[in-house]
Amino acid sequence: MSHYPGAGPVIHDPMTLPSDDNVDSYTFCVELKGSQWFLQKGKMIAYYGSMEFNGIGHGRLERLVRTSFHSPLHASDWVVAEGSGKMLLADRAFDVNSYDLDDGNLTIRSGNLLAFQPSLSLKQSIVPGFLTLIGTGKFVAASNGPVVFMEPPIRVDPQALVGWADCPSPCHHYDYGYMTGLMGGLRAMTGLGGASGEEHQFEFVGAGTVLLQSSEALMAEQPTGGVPHQAGVPGSGASTGGSQQGGAPRLPGQLGDLQRRFGL
Amino acid sequence: MFRLQGSKVLAVEMTGDAVKAKNGSMVAYDGQMAFKKLSGGGEGIRGMVTRRLTGEQMTVMEVKGHGTCWFADRASEINLVNLQGDKLYVESSNLLATDAGLRTGTTFTGVRGASQGNGLFTTTVEGHGQAAITSDGPAVVLRVSAQYPLTVDPGAYIAHQGNLRQSFQSGVTFRTLMGEGGGEAFQIRFEGDGLVYVQPSERNTIAGDL
Repeated sequence: MSHYPGAGPVIHDPMTLPSDDNVDSYTFCVELKGSQWFLQKGKMIAYYGSMEFNGIGHGRLERLVRTSFHSPLHASDWVVAEGSGKMLLADRAFDVNSYDLDDGNLTIRSGNLLAFQPSLSLKQSIVPGFLTLIGTGKFVAASNGPVVFMEPPIRVDPQALVGWADCPSPCHHYDYGYMTGLMGGLRAMTGLGGASGEEHQFEFVGAGTVLLQSSEALMAEQPTGGVPHQAGVPGSGASTGGSQQGGAPRLPGQLGDLQRRFGL
Repeated sequence: MFRLQGSKVLAVEMTGDAVKAKNGSMVAYDGQMAFKKLSGGGEGIRGMVTRRLTGEQMTVMEVKGHGTCWFADRASEINLVNLQGDKLYVESSNLLATDAGLRTGTTFTGVRGASQGNGLFTTTVEGHGQAAITSDGPAVVLRVSAQYPLTVDPGAYIAHQGNLRQSFQSGVTFRTLMGEGGGEAFQIRFEGDGLVYVQPSERNTIAGDL
């Protein structure tokens, strides 16, 4: 794999491709030897050897799915690759990296997860739009720009958050002083007077690691993966009173509340 | 002489010779350069008509002079290809520049092109010299040989060269129609001897939804 100028590009064949490692920053190579991997639909770009891709609903995979796939709502986005050979994974020219979990847990934005070994088990996080991996094994995730690891306590921008490991789920943090009062209400309603766009963060406390990407570009939102409409389930849209009219949440004493107060 | 400056800018040093490049892709030059638009990809009347008919249109300019000329296209990654008498098959939208000595043409690709949403025809580059192709993210070059056939996602395929046979595989079954497809319903299988260029990103194709 020597790369000297003038020699043209590096040419890969099944012998020189790495096994379960990055080919370059944007491409990851998975070696299958009769084993299985879960991968998100459409992230395979090429493979050597013979492989089969089957949807999660495939009857023969039921046992596998029962032990390591616990998110029925994402089932239509995932497939199981099995066979033998080497397979290349990539996602919109984003950086891809693999991570090893050793009897641990990690929560990641659902769109950023590309593939994982069935020795891990996938569950839906209580935070909407995130998935949690529990167990021991390897998984591959994409990020726009390299991933930065941070330690709590930390407040992060919602768009830059890729995931977190071993620490409690985050909470929302609003910049109270900036949003309250007459001026805060005016700013929120009109965008005039300098809405910085950073009034809202995710706050992490406790021990663990927080993964951030170095840009605020997100994966396209998947229409699937919602949670059942039940009272008490976060993100289900079944609110239990307190009618929020969308947009930024209102704080008491804000201008926008005048409408509600006068019953308009 | 083609040279990459960074990964997204192509520098071409010229001493009186010429290169063909995508129209409007010049970003800078020093020395003396003349730019001339070549109608119909510089393939003569026949090429012009063929390109019009096949929809594989390509606006090309000829750059000629002494000095260095830099080319770039929408900050996409550039990959250099050396041709020694073999043929490069590439989508016209991915072709950035070729040596003037290389012949370009169009060829029928069949159903592969249709699955990529690129139409049924593709561009060929033939001869001895260098070509530069663009990709979304640096391309991975994969060798295909007799004992190692390769299967590629149509959305990630950008080009191939050498003596390759391609066959189209469709995994569309009743399960696909029920929304439980494998997600990789269309694949191109390459057999023979040559190189395949894939990009770490997928264009939106019909296959992407299945």
